[in-house]
Formats: sequence, C-alpha cells, structure tokens
Amino acid sequence: MGVIEAGAGEPLVYLHGFADVHACMGELQPFHLALAQRRRLIAVALPGVNGSDELAEGATSADDVQFRLLEAFDALGLERFDLVGHCAGGWMAAEFAVRHPARVRTLSLIGASGLFVEGELIADIFMHAQPERGIDYKTLRRTLFSSSDHPLAKQWYPDIRGDIDVEARRYQMLRFGSFVGFRPPYFYARPLIGRLHRANMPALSIAGELDGFVPLAHAQAYAAGLPGAGGAARIVAGAGHAVHLEEPEAVAAAVMETLARA
Amino acid sequence: MSYPYLPADFDEKYESGWVTVPNALWDRESSRGLLREYTDQLVYASEIGFDGMVLNEHHQNIYGLMPSPNIIAAALAHATKRGKIVVLGNLLPLHINPLRVAEEYAMLDNLSDGRIVAGFAPGSGPETFNYDIPSAPSRDQFWEAVDLIRQAWTRPGPFAYEGKHYPLRYVNPWPLPTQRPHPPIWIPAGRSRGTLREIAKHGYSYFLSSRSHGSATAKSQQLFERTLEEYGQKYQPHRMGILMSVVVGETDAEAREQSREGVWYFLRNCLKGHQRREGRQLTYGPGVPYIPSEEWRDFLAATDPTTPLLGDTEDWDDLQRSQSILVGSPDTVYERILAILEAAPVGNLLLQFHLGNMPSQFTRKSMKLFADKVAPRLREASMKIYAKRFPHLDSTPAGEAVL
Repeated sequence: MGVIEAGAGEPLVYLHGFADVHACMGELQPFHLALAQRRRLIAVALPGVNGSDELAEGATSADDVQFRLLEAFDALGLERFDLVGHCAGGWMAAEFAVRHPARVRTLSLIGASGLFVEGELIADIFMHAQPERGIDYKTLRRTLFSSSDHPLAKQWYPDIRGDIDVEARRYQMLRFGSFVGFRPPYFYARPLIGRLHRANMPALSIAGELDGFVPLAHAQAYAAGLPGAGGAARIVAGAGHAVHLEEPEAVAAAVMETLARA
Repeated sequence: MSYPYLPADFDEKYESGWVTVPNALWDRESSRGLLREYTDQLVYASEIGFDGMVLNEHHQNIYGLMPSPNIIAAALAHATKRGKIVVLGNLLPLHINPLRVAEEYAMLDNLSDGRIVAGFAPGSGPETFNYDIPSAPSRDQFWEAVDLIRQAWTRPGPFAYEGKHYPLRYVNPWPLPTQRPHPPIWIPAGRSRGTLREIAKHGYSYFLSSRSHGSATAKSQQLFERTLEEYGQKYQPHRMGILMSVVVGETDAEAREQSREGVWYFLRNCLKGHQRREGRQLTYGPGVPYIPSEEWRDFLAATDPTTPLLGDTEDWDDLQRSQSILVGSPDTVYERILAILEAAPVGNLLLQFHLGNMPSQFTRKSMKLFADKVAPRLREASMKIYAKRFPHLDSTPAGEAVL
C-alpha cells in the first residue's frame, strides 16, 4: 500500500477521497498537516492509487477493499487508531468501523459517500470526469468544490492537460471508483446504513454546504445512524465537497473535537 | 442507422448525441418505416453482390438505432439468401448471461444456413454509462464471456463452467450453430497489445475500430502481423477488417453534392459525444477508465487533448486528409481505397454507405455504383497485392460488406 506519514503520537489513519492527497495531490495538504500536529497521521492510498496495488482481477466490491485495509493496518502494526475519511475514503472508513468497532477509537467522516439515501443520488463523477471540448473540467470542478472558479479547483483541475503525475493519480482514483463504486449507481452499498449502529465510537459527520458530489442528506443520514455522532451533521457554510481543502482549519478543528471525545 | 430527423439547431442546443440526448426528439410519425428502410438497404446490398451485411450495437444515441443487432440479423437471415451477416458485435458485458448470446448466434446461424459472423465487443464509453458497466473490470469480464461462448459451441454439453464472472452449472445450448466448429469470431479493437494477443491466440479475426486511415492503419496491420507470428501463425488479409464510409457518385462533384448534407449532419450531430471534441466526448477518457493505469500514463504523454477528432472536420479538404469518409466518382473511390490497401493489406472492408440524414435514393445509388464500378476492380487489384505480399497464401480478393 502507498502510505504517507507525518507527525507523532497516537495513530490516526486517513483514507482519501477524490480531490485529496494520493488521488490528486502527491503530498499532504494543510488539513492533513493540521491533524499531524496532534497525531501520527498515516494516509493510506486506496487500492490502485499512488503506489498501492490494484485489486486482483475479479475483486470488485467494497468488501475486497476491507480485506486490503485489514492487511495494511496489520502490517503497519495499527491495532487501535482514530479513523478519518473523505468521500469514498469516508465510505471505506465507515465500512471498516462497522466491522471492527473495537479497533476504531474515533470515526470522522467528511463528505462521505457509501449510503443509499432514496431520492438523493450521488453525482456521476465519471461523466463529469469526461471533459467538455477535450479540456474543460468545469463541471468536475463544481462537483468537487464549491465553485468551478475556486482557486484550488483551478489549481488541481485546470482546463488544460495538467501535470502528468497529477492526471495519472486522478485517473487511478477513477479506476478505483470503477472497481468498487460504479455499481450500483454510484458509491453506495445498501446494507451499510443498517449496520451503522455497530460503530459506537465517538463520531463526526461533516460536509460542505455546497457539496456537489454527495448530497447533504447523506451527511445527515450518517449523523443519524452513527450512535456517537450526536444526531446532526456539521455543515460548513460556503464550502463544497472538498470542504477539508477549502476550509482546512474548521474541518481540522471539528475532527480534533471528536478525537478529544475518546 | 442514424436518426435523420433532428432539428436544425441540434448542435447549438445539445451537448451530445449519445447517452443524454433527450428522446423527446424522437419523432414517432416521421420515423415510421425508418428501421424497415435501413434493413431493406442491407437486403439490397445482398442482392447487388456485396459479400456481406454488417450490423453493430449501440444504445441510447442518434448514431446507430440498433440496440439489438440480433433482431435485424434475424430479419436479414430471413429476407436474404446470400452474403455473410456480420454482427459486429454483441456487447458482452451488457448481458447478464453471455450464454444467451451463444444461443442467439446459434439460432441466427441456423436461420441463415451458416452465414453468421459472430462479433464480440466489450462496449466503449457510452455503453458504460448506458448500462452501468464498470469500465475497469469490464475487459476481464469480456474475455471470460467470449471464452464461455466459444466453449458452449464446441465442448459437448452439458458441462459446468467455473468462471469468475459467469459461473454456470449447466452449459448445453440447443440448437448448436450450423458452422463447424463455430461461426467465425471477429473482435473490434484498437492497438492494445493485450487484445491483439487474445485475438491471435484463439484464431479470431481483428477488426480495427478506427474510422480514420493513414499510417496508423498500416501500423495496426503490422502489429497484428507480428502478434500472429508470436503465436506461430502467418498473417493473411482476411484475418483483419477496417471500417470506412463511402459515397460514390457518377462524378466527384455529384458525389459531393448528393452527400453534402448527410456527411455534415453525421459529423456534427451523430459524432457529437463520440468522436468530436465539441460537447462532451464519452467514448474514452478518465471517466471510462478501462485502460490500465500505466497505459493511461503513456497515453497522456503521447497525446494532445486539443487535437481535433473526426467530428471536428472543418471542410472537404480536411475530410479528405482523415481518409475516413471517401467521397467521389468510382475512379476516385477505387484509387483511394487501393492506396489504403497497398499500405495496409487488409482483406475485409466494412463500408458505411448511409450517413446521417442522407436520402435513401442517394444511398442506394452510391451502393450500386460501388458494386458495379469499384468492387470488381478492387477485387482484382487486391488479389495482385496479396499474391505479391503473401506468396504463401492462396490469393482471394478483398471482400466488402455494407454497414
């Protein structure tokens, strides 16, 4: 597995989303570094992304990813840790927490997909990843950020052939999504919502008010289903799906509060 | 089999002719008889001497109104007595169970008295969206489906198939195909080494799925030739086919005049969303990530995303350069196809005669001129090319089929 570490102290595992370290950026961003001030942050790359081996042929379920994560956590000697995930990484984090609640000290989900919420379809990131006129990623930027003109959106998803390493990582993440998140459409597993009660550790569900990828109803459904989430999602005004990139201090502060509740 | 009744401002108003093109644009009254006419054009091809009739499968689009080519193949099997019926191909990952495809092709082979060419394809970008087919695992699934079908036709049943994607306890199709050991299998592909190896290994034929021709066509032919040699086989032209569009008129000027509207309708509307940069192209790209990540990196390094595609063709000169839609007199079309065959000795020409909203009478006239004045000369000339290039083979002329 591809791993980037920073900081010292108790372990915190971070599972990335699309607009994130591993899946786009090659390095930790201010949000991750803020967490590394308090914890030994271990950002694990999902299968097929940024140095992690792809899933074996025929392995196409979130469950296959769970076994890969188990192997990785065991290899890293991580018995019990704080778990933070964004987007599809949040989905994988929630799946892990319902299976292995004793290993997860706290669970923080940021703009997490993974739940089926009727009438609240998660956006088609695959369609948006196909540029208009061969180079225009405007709708992808709006899916991932509060505005297609947000400076971070423009920096990481420019309307030209970008840096090849960045584009290659973006492709790897879409390929990961194609293995585990494409069907059913898209990025959810129906049984998960009924299993959330098993993840009884202190928890956080947080999302950007203008999330264009995962509708806010999903953040609320996580907050309602996770016993330790306090019943309501934290919504960050004016931010998009990549709320942790757009508002790193606010999101890091919310995660810290959750860590402190353990 | 394009949809010919789009509003004149279609290109301005709609981002794509594929997947998201609203079907409120389908005019039920104007469209009465349309599928029958397209089918009749293929029957006509059989009557005037083409070697075959080619069908393809596309979904939820204005480019090809044939989500189930096997239905048209059944009509052709019944309405014609001669000519191969080339289904290119059934998109296997779209089927819950490929055994159904094995059964339908076997039925068609019986109905047509052994005239079926069985094409199989994995589907490309648009089908990913149409049928919710995850791109990344679809190639693995595709090759397993081809293997299952081939076994279903050749291995005495019932037998158990222990596949990853299609485990089946009882494989035992009735009827079996008429042809032995099974209908010829064609696989459309680009220049993926992995795909060419699979084609070579199993003795299938390679249909180059590019619409434009030039040095890349010759490179593909050479690559396939070398791949066959890796497997101890020698290339022969009938293991490979290429696709092009053709409009023949009495003169160059007449051909252009009669095809102008249809050609530009086809390029601007039918290719929008497929092979045109304007709008949102869905055929390949990061949102349909079926290419392994390492190969995608090479693709990024080798390509420029601003390069125009076929649908971005600006004028007739531009069109001529792309060698995709050949428009002209019988002499012109003959010479241009011959030049392609001289560079890339390919034995199967798949020719699309109907483009966009081209009127039926022009399509039929063009087909007849080709059959009478181009095909005989091409057959003769191609035999000479093959005899010279491949002395180890019995020379048979290039065959052509109509799409």
